Amino acid sequence: MKDNLNHIRNFCIIAHIDHGKSTLADRLIELTGTVSKREMQDQILDSMELEREKGITIKLAPTRLIYDYNGEEYTLNLIDTPGHVDFTYEVSRSLAACEGAILLVDASQGVEAQTLANTYLALDNNLETVPVINKIDLPSARVEEVKKEIEEVIGLDAENCPCISAKEGTNVEDVLKAIIEKIPAPKGDINGRLKCLIFDSHYDNFKGAICLIRVFDGQVKKGDKILMMQTNKVFEVTEVGIFVPNTKETEVLSAGDVGYLAGSIKTIQDVKVGDTITSWENPTDEALAGYKEVQPVVFCGIFPVDGARYGELKDALDKLKLNDASLQFSAENSMALGYGFRCGFLGLLHLEIITERLEREFNLDIITTAPSVSYHVYKTSGDMLEISNPSLLPPQVEIERIEEPMVKVNIFSPPEYVGAIMDLCQDKRGIYKNMIYLDKRRVELNYDLPLGEIIYDFFDSLKSRTHGYASFDYEQKGYEPAELVRVDILLNGERCDALSMIVHKDKAYTRGRELAERLKKIIPRQLFEVPIQACIGNKIIARETISALRKDVLAKCYGGDITRKRKLLEKQKEGKKRMRKIGSVEIPSEAFMSILKLNDDE
Amino acid sequence: MMMNKELSIYIHIPFCERKCIYCAFVSFCADKNSQDKYVDFLVKEIKSFKTNSRVKTIYIGGGTPSVLSEENLIKIFEALSSSFNINSNAEITIEANPNSLSENKLVLYKKLGINRLSIGIQSLNDDTLKKIGRHHSREDGINSIKLANSYFDNISIDLILGLEGEKNIYKYAETLIDLGVKHISAYMLEVHENTPLNNQVESHKFIPLNEDEVTSEYEKLVKFLDKKGFNQYEISNFALKGYESKHNINYWTFDDYVGFGISAHSFLNGIRIANASTLEDYYNGVKLKDENTDKTEIEERLFLGLRCFSGVDLKILQALGFDLRENDYYKKFLHDGILKEKEGKVYFNKNYYLVSDYIISHLLPD
Repeated sequence: MKDNLNHIRNFCIIAHIDHGKSTLADRLIELTGTVSKREMQDQILDSMELEREKGITIKLAPTRLIYDYNGEEYTLNLIDTPGHVDFTYEVSRSLAACEGAILLVDASQGVEAQTLANTYLALDNNLETVPVINKIDLPSARVEEVKKEIEEVIGLDAENCPCISAKEGTNVEDVLKAIIEKIPAPKGDINGRLKCLIFDSHYDNFKGAICLIRVFDGQVKKGDKILMMQTNKVFEVTEVGIFVPNTKETEVLSAGDVGYLAGSIKTIQDVKVGDTITSWENPTDEALAGYKEVQPVVFCGIFPVDGARYGELKDALDKLKLNDASLQFSAENSMALGYGFRCGFLGLLHLEIITERLEREFNLDIITTAPSVSYHVYKTSGDMLEISNPSLLPPQVEIERIEEPMVKVNIFSPPEYVGAIMDLCQDKRGIYKNMIYLDKRRVELNYDLPLGEIIYDFFDSLKSRTHGYASFDYEQKGYEPAELVRVDILLNGERCDALSMIVHKDKAYTRGRELAERLKKIIPRQLFEVPIQACIGNKIIARETISALRKDVLAKCYGGDITRKRKLLEKQKEGKKRMRKIGSVEIPSEAFMSILKLNDDE
Repeated sequence: MMMNKELSIYIHIPFCERKCIYCAFVSFCADKNSQDKYVDFLVKEIKSFKTNSRVKTIYIGGGTPSVLSEENLIKIFEALSSSFNINSNAEITIEANPNSLSENKLVLYKKLGINRLSIGIQSLNDDTLKKIGRHHSREDGINSIKLANSYFDNISIDLILGLEGEKNIYKYAETLIDLGVKHISAYMLEVHENTPLNNQVESHKFIPLNEDEVTSEYEKLVKFLDKKGFNQYEISNFALKGYESKHNINYWTFDDYVGFGISAHSFLNGIRIANASTLEDYYNGVKLKDENTDKTEIEERLFLGLRCFSGVDLKILQALGFDLRENDYYKKFLHDGILKEKEGKVYFNKNYYLVSDYIISHLLPD
């Protein structure tokens, strides 16, 4: 039975963030009895603490469901996907392992920016896409209208689509039926030469690197010798298995199956997500298409608070990179922060998640510098430099022009916020492209915007100006010249490289002044007066002064309780360790992220 | 055991008529029965302590020791003299509040050998006193000094710097010095968690002086007291010559002391011991012991020595394996005149007392 490809369905769920993807996955797991009620915890596939906390899915999490349909047993492999724009890349990775996708749409929110973006990805991968309308239990649900939106905006037939409440379990069975009826069974030759796609990987301290695989042709079992076609490494399989949703060892994985494979792979770099695994003795002629390498678009410096932990930081980044191919990093040295790494990310959320994982999973104290994009700097000498660290920008006189990365932005919003959105895009140096009224309640706005402006509080501003009703998505759109300058910060006359930023010349004064004001609040008083200056080249554009410290003493040392006083001083000294020195000025670690949060106080 | 070693004794009396809003010490109201029970236990604790050292100072603090009944105080002194060899010139202090001092008590104190009074004046402003939960008025304060002065020569008073609206504290000092006060402890207000003051500060019902205002209050007071011949022998302590508190100095110069009573601290042969700070634990004999390591001794010698006139002996630190002269901050502080070295000892420039925690935290060993 299990060998029959006709009884396997490989699918994923795609949706805009918060449309209920993880809840539906939970219901499907529950309904098929994959996990007993007792073991059930909410959002079971979001295994990372961070995922549950933020209510988002970051990593792909596959699971095998067994379902009886018309008296026959079907194996449904569900691959959960992230919903945030930063992780479009991960979505496309899981899509390549599936034949179909459930497109989940919130019955009150309707079609949103990511609904559309993810549908396009599914279509690009030739997936059968099955719309499902969720949250029909909400009083604000407007099922018929949303069906119309799906048909008109996306172009999918939604007439008889399942309408469910994943939260309450209503009609969830319809989804399982639709998966079997509408999504095609995998094709593949079980007797053919082995061909598997690595769609994800992670590191296990006991088993080494674990590959998450989809078998397209052939079979793989313990003891087989396998070849990684891209890295050209050979391993002996020590274990294969499936996810239920925890790992469970099986004898064999065959064409059509989704599961995992371990092979005492000690070197993280030997496993490349997107690579094809084949048999070493009898290899396939042709590798699978794999994935195109994603390029990071947001960069920042990451440094250990305690310089001695540089090695630990490097190990941690290596480990994270194993199942996050999009994370890039290279060694960097800062005058202010010492040795660390310049890291590249897919977006701000990605950056935030990596830094939080470094702190939580690896127990590292880190300092991150403000995020930047990568600029193309054309020098008068004819050279072109890619600069993602503002402090490395050459002097103005050597620069012929600077080009910045642009993105095409799609914004979905109720019509009443169009004015506010246009103001925001204008303020962010956006170029208006188009506006389409999708129906009475939804407008789609298209803008071209500099990515550098998007990573500087665009998302938060959009949310607050539209009371959370607008959604947005963007894609890369090449480089364009812009009048950019570097704003430096001098503390007591010394430049602090980690606080430099590249900004448009029209915004340099405001941003320089805001940053100086912010630093004044964050940097504690010192024994002497500390001037903070923002400047472009040699020109001072803003100045603040931190007055000298006048009082730092606990006067009472009473009744012989010396220990308490000693511990207080020790604590104060530990606080000093978290400080960085620029010349003779001590700066707390938080100051370096402060460029990001310039608008927080408003 | 060394025969010529000397010792100080601290006795904690946790009772108060009511608790002041800023107070974070172990103190509470208690009826006669609970007071009797406490004193009985205290007496047992005193009697069970064995030592050959002679006692050079005794300090009875609180709380408000002056609320103790005469018979309880007598019991404590009987226990002390039966267990200890007290020097004839020992400094013996008791803390008192202006409203709980009476002629009878003063006579008794004198009879028991007490020779120093520390009176909690805190302020000479009636509104302030009321606001912070004190039980006495400006007049009570002044009268208590007058009364005390007819029995005692060595009188110390406490003042608080930084209370709402309290500018020109030095004028209180002036009034009190004219009445015969010989020693002044001036503590800057600390707002501790879990005190009513903390709530009032957070809800802006009480607005303490800001950093600049407190600093200037302190500086004015220091200047005034200097003019009056009061020597600043520690950050918060000022005295006419010969009236420095020997008991306090003992804490700062790393000499032995033993504390009796709830939450009392001892330092004996390099070990710091803290009695429990709840009555239940205290009655069960719970104590926290903290053996000094070289590192903690270095740290303690540094901050204790720097905070008072005695300074820190660089050679003692070296013997403990710590060379202050190798610390870059130390060199800088010397260069900037914040610290000074004299005959192998290092002292604070008194102008920098108010930032002493900042400075000291840069000097502690890693």
